[in-house]
Amino acid sequence: MQVKLEKEYPIPANMDTCWHILCDVEQLAGCMPGAEITERVDEKNYVGLVKVKVGPATAAFTGKIELLGFDEAGKSIRLMGKGADKSGSTASMDLTASVRAGATPGECVLIGTSDVIINGKFAQFGGRMMNSVSDMILQQFADNFSAKAQAVYGQANPASAQAQATAQHPPKVHKGINAFAIMWVVIKDLFSNLFGAKK
Amino acid sequence: MNSPLNDRKAALMGMGDSRLRKEDARFIQGKGNYVDDIKMPDMVYMDIVRSPVAHARIKKINKEAALAIPGVLAVLTADDLKPLKLHWMPTLAGDVQAVLADEKVHFQMQEVAVVIATERYIAADGVEAVSVEYEELTAVIDPFKALEKGAPVLREDLAGKTEGAHGKRYHHNHIFTWEAGDKAKADVAFSAAEVTVKQDMFYPRVHPCPLETCGCVASFDPVRGELTTFMTSQAPHVVRTVVSLLSGIAESKIRIVSPDIGGGFGNKVPVYPGYVCAIVASIVLGRPVKWIEDRVENISSTGFARDYHMTGELAATKAGKITGLRVNVIADHGAFDSCADPTKFPAGMFHIVSGSYDIPAAYCRVDGVYTNKAPGGVAYRCSFRVTEAVYLIERMVDVLAQDLKMDKAEIRSKNFIRKEQFPYTSAFGFEYDSGDYQGALDKVLNACDYKGLRVEQAAKRADPNSPTLMGIGLVSFTEVVGAGPSKMCDILGVGMFDSCEIRVHPTGSAIARMGTISTGQAHQTTYAQIIATELGLPSEVIQVEEGDTSTAPYGLGTYGSRSTPVAGAAIAMASRKIHAKAKKIAAHLLEVSENDLEWEIDRFKVKGQDAKFKTMKDIAWAAYNKPPAGMEPGLEAVHYYDPPNFTFPFGIYLCVVDIDKATGETKIRRFYALDDCGTRINPMIIEGQIHGGLTEGFAVAMGQQLTFDAQGNIQGNTLMDYFLPTFVETPKWETDFTVTPSPHHPIGAKGVAESPHVGSIPTFTSAVVDAFSHLGVAHMNMPHNAFRVWQQLQASGVKS
Repeated sequence: MQVKLEKEYPIPANMDTCWHILCDVEQLAGCMPGAEITERVDEKNYVGLVKVKVGPATAAFTGKIELLGFDEAGKSIRLMGKGADKSGSTASMDLTASVRAGATPGECVLIGTSDVIINGKFAQFGGRMMNSVSDMILQQFADNFSAKAQAVYGQANPASAQAQATAQHPPKVHKGINAFAIMWVVIKDLFSNLFGAKK
Repeated sequence: MNSPLNDRKAALMGMGDSRLRKEDARFIQGKGNYVDDIKMPDMVYMDIVRSPVAHARIKKINKEAALAIPGVLAVLTADDLKPLKLHWMPTLAGDVQAVLADEKVHFQMQEVAVVIATERYIAADGVEAVSVEYEELTAVIDPFKALEKGAPVLREDLAGKTEGAHGKRYHHNHIFTWEAGDKAKADVAFSAAEVTVKQDMFYPRVHPCPLETCGCVASFDPVRGELTTFMTSQAPHVVRTVVSLLSGIAESKIRIVSPDIGGGFGNKVPVYPGYVCAIVASIVLGRPVKWIEDRVENISSTGFARDYHMTGELAATKAGKITGLRVNVIADHGAFDSCADPTKFPAGMFHIVSGSYDIPAAYCRVDGVYTNKAPGGVAYRCSFRVTEAVYLIERMVDVLAQDLKMDKAEIRSKNFIRKEQFPYTSAFGFEYDSGDYQGALDKVLNACDYKGLRVEQAAKRADPNSPTLMGIGLVSFTEVVGAGPSKMCDILGVGMFDSCEIRVHPTGSAIARMGTISTGQAHQTTYAQIIATELGLPSEVIQVEEGDTSTAPYGLGTYGSRSTPVAGAAIAMASRKIHAKAKKIAAHLLEVSENDLEWEIDRFKVKGQDAKFKTMKDIAWAAYNKPPAGMEPGLEAVHYYDPPNFTFPFGIYLCVVDIDKATGETKIRRFYALDDCGTRINPMIIEGQIHGGLTEGFAVAMGQQLTFDAQGNIQGNTLMDYFLPTFVETPKWETDFTVTPSPHHPIGAKGVAESPHVGSIPTFTSAVVDAFSHLGVAHMNMPHNAFRVWQQLQASGVKS
């Protein structure tokens, strides 16, 4: 099944900081809940791992990530990830991510456009959940990205509001994809669809 | 008849008696003997590695990790089957099907490898440990896209073959073109017509989903060279022939046993890769191998039904007399053509599509297409493709009625084949045996106060505050069942006769062995009733055995409502052979001529002399004790019945629905089903069959559908998604009947189990569409679930 996602997340850090994280595929992958880069083949090719558990379906996707495009001027990169899991699911993600300036110099916006194709058990069981799950995973990704950016930006600018805020309330870092959280999102969505306002 | 005669007749519990099902004693106590109940010494277990993707090239299969698990005995792939030439197998439709994916996978959940282990759980662990490297290819899910010029080649094994089993292939993903009727004559009818209507409709892919999934226990005895396989098969004799042809083992050394079967509905007709692999594994290991698929595997990979994209056209006069019919179908057969039809009919009996109507000119064309979906095309509780045909014609008659602003009942009356026209030859060449459609229609319209319903509907439509839309569905269907005459029908060259062997024992009990196999129809009960009436022996002492190829005479099995029309006739004919011999013995015992004897319920008596008689029980003893000089002892007979024609059961169904304007929920207020299945053997069992068929029809019309996403992932292959109605959802059924015996059948019976499925599905659509007909809606595709009906409410601007 195919899910197309277009998301924007405001990040309380300046553009340069964000762009640096974005350019570093290993750091970027580290923001993805449950994901890590296990091998760097060359500048453009990496091997990685993502662990996911949704209800009856568990998967450990191992696969390749290829850096397809890198636009310094436009502050945009394009990645293609392809992976498979042993128990019968495959996934691919064509992701374009960029940053643009925010309202103030200490803020920017992370923009992601992706095309995710999932096959196998996950697509069979999870058809109805996929949009909710993708939303949640991306939100967690953005939160992690934001936390990382704030930490880097805060270190570089100890006087900034971010540094002080971070010191008092360290941002929540999502380490793995949590099945309970996913179920909660799905249930919440179900109820908001049932009782929510008409579209 | 005086009372002692009635008592004697009642004691037999023969035809017409609602005797209780003999099978139920064991079923309701959990004492049935299904394939998964079979345990053999030294038995091992098989599980299947399946493809996660719909279309891909297999680059590598890594078995080592699986083989390293303690308890895993073997992992087999296509490469292991190749030396035996068993990596591909022939299908019933003249195509070939991969037993285990050979270089390419063609649908999601396709069998790629099998793991055999000492425990079921270890086999499952082994499956997880087999890793397969795939190179994904573009999956083609839509049959129309499959036929586009640049569409990917799905079946590389058929590259360059422009001739298939059923003639020319015009595209690399095309399987066959099949035509019936007279195109030129139909075209003339259309160009001369006062009125024409045309409607596209999609009959979605559904799955029979029997409660028991498929499976087998294969046991090869290497010392004797004999293969015994217990199997969930609706056609064990055909399976034995196929296994013999594939394996080279003599048919006499193969024993296929279908034990109790928990529902078939066509799903257990094909030969599946799992059976073949279990048999091979048993031969390789020299141990019994059990394979039982789970629910997800059953829904995803075994015989689906329907998936017909149909376009119907009717030509008619302004007065509503139909003058012509044209039908075009794109049939999605999935990755392999393993459609279960009589060999010469790739679209089954689809040409029953002229229905109950006297249509002078008709033509239909079906084009089979390959896609990246599971193979199948089985007859889900219907004779071959009859459900699709009946759906089309019944929808088209409604569409025409709406176009002409005529009433549904009136247009049907105007076009019925009349009672005096039987036997009637249709424009497609079927010879309908008997029927009284108008009589049945009148009975239903009166019973349901049809006029009153229309008045109520008009009042509801006029009332803007009515919370519901009311719809009335009406269908007058004719089925063609009892395949079939061997001059027309065969499976892999074997004529579609069926058989019965009856042995009457010295003490007057009997055993009948049959070529069919019950999957829940209660053959043990009803077959005995036919013998009871024919031979005058109580049905309680008549045993019926089926399903074991080593004891039963050869038969083509149970599907397509053929058991009563074909095997039921074989029983009557075998009984009559015994009856004829019994008469000779009776004449000898009574020392009169055969001409002086008459038959009376359970005995031969000298004409006019009630006291001079011999009962069948007396005669049975004599047959073994003192037969007439020159006569062989014993009292038994075998009959192979090759039917002279099909039978044509029919029915009139009426359904009233109330659709909630706010939610789209459809409530079935009333469903009235009148069936005419000819002579009725056991009215209680008929009623049960009709309830079951209506419930499955309700399931198909209101909720069942196998959907796929664009990549070929099957969506909803669990019972969480796939709709199986329970008592909670199932409406109340009202049943009724008329009796128009089949003139060519020995006891006049026509078959019944499938009529309610075939007939009810278009009735539900007719009712739901009728609720919207005043808003200009002529057709809605199934399933009519709340969401889809709600979408129609929105599209039609209905305010709640």
